[in-house]
Amino acid sequence: MSWTRSARAVLAFTLLVLLHYTIRPFLGWRTPVDFLVIAVLLSAVRVRPGAAALIGFCTGLVADSLTPSAFGAGALAMTAVGASASWLKAVFFADNVVLHGFFFFVGKWAFDIVYVTAERRMHGVELATQLLLWSPLSAAATAVAGVVLLLMLRPVLEPQAA
Amino acid sequence: MARAVRSGTRVDTVLLVACCVMALLATVLPLNLREAIAGGLRRTVVAPLVSLQEQAVRGRSAFLSRDATTSRLDSVALRNMQLAKLETENERLRALLGLGRELQWGFVSAEALRIADIGEEHSRTLTVGSRVGVEPKTPVIAPEGLVGMVRTVDPNSSIAILWSHSDFAASAMSADRSAYGIVYPHLSESGRDAEIPPERYLLEMRGVAFRSALKPGTLIVTSGLGGVYPAGIPIGTVLGELRTSEGWARTYLVRPAVRPPDVSNVIVLLPKRIQGQSLDRVWRSTMSADSAARRIAAAGDSLARRAAVDSMRAVEAAAVRRAADSVGGQPARPGGTRPPGADTARRAPPRADTTRPAVRRPDAPRPGTQP
Repeated sequence: MSWTRSARAVLAFTLLVLLHYTIRPFLGWRTPVDFLVIAVLLSAVRVRPGAAALIGFCTGLVADSLTPSAFGAGALAMTAVGASASWLKAVFFADNVVLHGFFFFVGKWAFDIVYVTAERRMHGVELATQLLLWSPLSAAATAVAGVVLLLMLRPVLEPQAA
Repeated sequence: MARAVRSGTRVDTVLLVACCVMALLATVLPLNLREAIAGGLRRTVVAPLVSLQEQAVRGRSAFLSRDATTSRLDSVALRNMQLAKLETENERLRALLGLGRELQWGFVSAEALRIADIGEEHSRTLTVGSRVGVEPKTPVIAPEGLVGMVRTVDPNSSIAILWSHSDFAASAMSADRSAYGIVYPHLSESGRDAEIPPERYLLEMRGVAFRSALKPGTLIVTSGLGGVYPAGIPIGTVLGELRTSEGWARTYLVRPAVRPPDVSNVIVLLPKRIQGQSLDRVWRSTMSADSAARRIAAAGDSLARRAAVDSMRAVEAAAVRRAADSVGGQPARPGGTRPPGADTARRAPPRADTTRPAVRRPDAPRPGTQP
């Protein structure tokens, strides 16, 4: 990956992190869009699995610093999602919007499953409701937002060759 | 090539395992250690993001509370608008109290309620009746002057007609007693002369002798003739002369002293108060009551100021006394500084049998000075 492409990817990543800490709390939805997952997924498909795991770990740790009670759960979930996305990137290299949307949906849902399990705070019906109702809804919102952002950021992430 | 790929895969695996192990370790760390690491991150790397999040949350709260804030602002503005009305009402009630004080006896105060029926806009229901001595044809007055008279009386309420009622009539005179006439409501819808202000509610003073010319602005009061209204109650002021076909008497247009919309609290004069007593002195006193009230308020303010100054002086004196005590015999000068070196000078400890020198009060006359 050239320096220019790296810089562009870093810019897009930073932008998504900023959106996570501005748009998300401002909207305050019950099923929030997870811009951090989108950022990790978009970065993961551009680097090797080890680097993707590291990116996921660091991003998760940053997110966990605001929720000390679940400290580590976000890092673990982001590591898993980032590494998995990097290993499976060949599947998603196809320039298909629907596939990208599915990619974001699965990524966010997987993140929630790992996070909630590692957090060990919810049990029984509450856990089931979270994983089978709110998490898919949040994943859907994340997928939609991810697709929209991908279309908007495409000139930055994949510049057309002259 | 194959070896490089294998090596890269091994590095990836090691990194992934290391990250997973560290993340798992983070989940099982003691709470204080987790809090310490999280706090460190929040204070350093994540600090800008935390600030952004706080601002976003604040923005959302402001956005959500916008409607509530707007409605609160509206209600405050509404209350502010009502304040002027309340001030006016307060002034009227105060004036009514002043009038009652001047009358001293033989009256009852009442609330005048508007009658909602069509055609009854010139009448009011009073909240007093025959139980407190109200009778038909007793006058109803306000601090500004004559309001009307009681027409029908029930035990606990009565109905009064205002001066604007078509049945109203009162014997009147100019305040200097130079002209007499009868005052009626001015029933014409529009003014007949261009110079007369187009006011809806006006009075006419009819039957004034031709030789008695009244200037605009002349005060018209009740004359006491006829036995219904005692003499001296202000009715209004002359606006100008009306041209009529009668050549032997003049008719004047009178601006009423009391505006019907202002009639809310009134005084009903009881029959025993009406008989043979002029009330013009009452209104002269009432007119000066407002200025007297202002003088009293000003005097109260000056008293409060003086009390505040006295208390300040007392506090100052107490402080000076305390300072003198702490110095131990060195009387401090009020408002001044201690002599240089007072803190550092070594002094012999005071003997038990010695008395402390008297501390001079700041307001006490200086020795040797004439008061």
